[in-house]
Amino acid sequence: MKKLLFALLFLVSVTAFAETPADSAFSKSYVSIEGGEMYPFGDLIDAVENSYYGGLGFRYSYWDDFDGFVHFNYAYVKVRAEGIPYPGVHQFVGRLGLDWHWKKIRPLAVGAGFTCNWTRADSDDEVKYYSGRGGMLLDNETEFGWFVRANLPFLYFKEYTAGLNVLWEELWTLPERSNMLTIGFYIERRIW
Amino acid sequence: MKFSMMLTTLSIVAFSVMANAAIDPEMEGMEPVSRGDGTFLIGGPTYHFDRILGAGGIHSESELWTPAKLRDRLLFNRMSALPSWTPMEPSVWIKTGNELGDMIYQDVITAEDRPANRTPILEGGFRTPSIKGFWATVRGFQDDHYSSRTSSFRRKEVSDEFALFGENYPMFSSIYGGLGFTNDVINTSVLAGEEYIWEYAESSRWIPVHMAPRVEARADFWNFALTAAFEKAEYQNDKFKESGERTEVNGSVLYKCSESCQKGVFQMSAGMAFRFVSDDGDVYTGLDNDRVLWPFMQLRVQPLRWLKADAMFGMNDSDWLVQDSIEMNSPFPVKGMGVTIGVKNISGTRLNPLADDVEYFSILNKKDTIDLAPSGQMNLVQAYLAFADTVASVSLGGRATFWAEHGAETFHKEGVVELSDMDFRFGDVSRINSWIKGITGELWLDAWLEDMFKFRALAGFERIDGPTERFEVTPSEFFVAFTGDWLIRKSFRVSHSLRYRSDAQWNLRGHDPLVVKGDWYWDATFEQQFPRHGLYLTGTIIHVLADEVVQVPNGDYDRLRFVCTVKKTF
Repeated sequence: MKKLLFALLFLVSVTAFAETPADSAFSKSYVSIEGGEMYPFGDLIDAVENSYYGGLGFRYSYWDDFDGFVHFNYAYVKVRAEGIPYPGVHQFVGRLGLDWHWKKIRPLAVGAGFTCNWTRADSDDEVKYYSGRGGMLLDNETEFGWFVRANLPFLYFKEYTAGLNVLWEELWTLPERSNMLTIGFYIERRIW
Repeated sequence: MKFSMMLTTLSIVAFSVMANAAIDPEMEGMEPVSRGDGTFLIGGPTYHFDRILGAGGIHSESELWTPAKLRDRLLFNRMSALPSWTPMEPSVWIKTGNELGDMIYQDVITAEDRPANRTPILEGGFRTPSIKGFWATVRGFQDDHYSSRTSSFRRKEVSDEFALFGENYPMFSSIYGGLGFTNDVINTSVLAGEEYIWEYAESSRWIPVHMAPRVEARADFWNFALTAAFEKAEYQNDKFKESGERTEVNGSVLYKCSESCQKGVFQMSAGMAFRFVSDDGDVYTGLDNDRVLWPFMQLRVQPLRWLKADAMFGMNDSDWLVQDSIEMNSPFPVKGMGVTIGVKNISGTRLNPLADDVEYFSILNKKDTIDLAPSGQMNLVQAYLAFADTVASVSLGGRATFWAEHGAETFHKEGVVELSDMDFRFGDVSRINSWIKGITGELWLDAWLEDMFKFRALAGFERIDGPTERFEVTPSEFFVAFTGDWLIRKSFRVSHSLRYRSDAQWNLRGHDPLVVKGDWYWDATFEQQFPRHGLYLTGTIIHVLADEVVQVPNGDYDRLRFVCTVKKTF
């Protein structure tokens, strides 16, 4: 019922973005490299260890006060649970979202978006088993989710910017949702 | 005044079209997934029961052949937009998605009650801009949704993964490419590809069909539209070491009413659809005389601006089908208000005269020839009254109909074979030779704010008097639906569809009826638009609220799923 009420509220709510700013899409764009660490939360702590990740990003102006961004990153995620016949999992993540540059908290930007998580066990074992724990990951697994993030640029040098990304992510997995915190530093270069 | 009149008229005409709002379908041809104005039961990408509440009769819309479906695909006895071989507009696109609920890292800590595997969707393709009229296109698409429940059964029937990618035994998997030429005079294309399809048969079996190659050519010039396809289809049941092959040529020729003709009182179109097949080995279905030629004619008479009559008539040596209607709008325009009354009729020997005539049934030593073309005829008559009233940015509309059908197509079940928790039936397609009567009522309310916001609330009910236990599907009695579309700052689209439909019931597909419980559904599409750059980034989440249930006998779970698309137009 809560979901239904939420849906109804969402459906009839009045938008907060009524004014139409000038079309500034892609008037600025940036590429970045990013590295950091991913921390599992909740029951996921029993499943996998904290993991380093590295990746690439692309950010572009969407409206005057909003940027769009796309991220791709890779992590090798070590398995913490015992009895799993492989040491870790290859994880590729793609994210698409929007950052809001609210002038009252500049230079901090807050954002949200959707994430796509692709995983496959680090296993050369030809024998596939699907019934036990860890079996599904022997084949490709994909799941979507959503995230919120804070983007704090703190160092500027010519066309380069260094900053910090703090991102909370929930994957729509079963039997429970999977929550993760990601903290990373990036260096970004403006293209135009 | 003209604008409000136009909106009012559009509000009536487009009522059924708007019922699914602007939710992006997960794949072209799967729009019924997000419709709320009737009974829409999805068995998979290649089969759905789609009955609009106000359409009259007890059949599913896709069971009925109409000239508008000439370029749809014939999947067993249904006309289906999926898998579409209609070339996209010049663009490049990629789509991916998944049924939500894969375990990812939950996998390594979940020992009991492990969820079944969730399956993805994939599509990618391009169509080049025109270079001196010439263009090229490639499209690969595959929908693995609705496949996991039945895959362990279906995989035994085929000798390989039966798909272009992966091991999920998707209900269809298709790839094609080709060349086209378009200028002011002609629009033509030739495409060739390979396709895997599981077709849902009258017995409730899923029949695997592998087309290699499939070639389709189209040409539109002057007032003609020509289509021809060559299909070399392989059939198999690896479990019983059965195999067969069907070579088929099908297509159509259509002469369309020209633009000047459309301004006249008499507007006539005519054409012919055809199929020629050659079967060898185990093909599981049969077409009488290995051919069907289906000439048809369409006529519109519009003596007055507010009065029009439409008729479609087709006939060949074994079947005939008539669809006609007379519709009258209010002859005296009243500001903001529109009233339409009309009658329509569908009569014929078969809903789809192009479909095969028999299905060969054989499971667990039970053999039968299922007759798909019943003797006699059906007659459906319907009268309707619709109105819409627009004041400022609000419009209220409604429609009431009465319909009666005699000779409705149904299935005479002689027996059911149970295998691996699935029921398969045999018998014959037959008729309900008594009158079935129905009344329907629908009300809708539209509100909009310039081009930024559109909202619609609609509700409908239907009362049917007849032997419902003999219906293939007893449709839902009522629905309510709310749709909302925002276009924020002219470049961010948010579309919603929230709806409820009451219980529907399959009566004839197994030992016991299958009740598809009434439920709420919520779909939403979010889209970043860059119109100046022709770029669109879209995410759609489907069936958020609903319980994940099987909606069609021997079908698969209708799961919560998410699909995203990136598209760049040229």
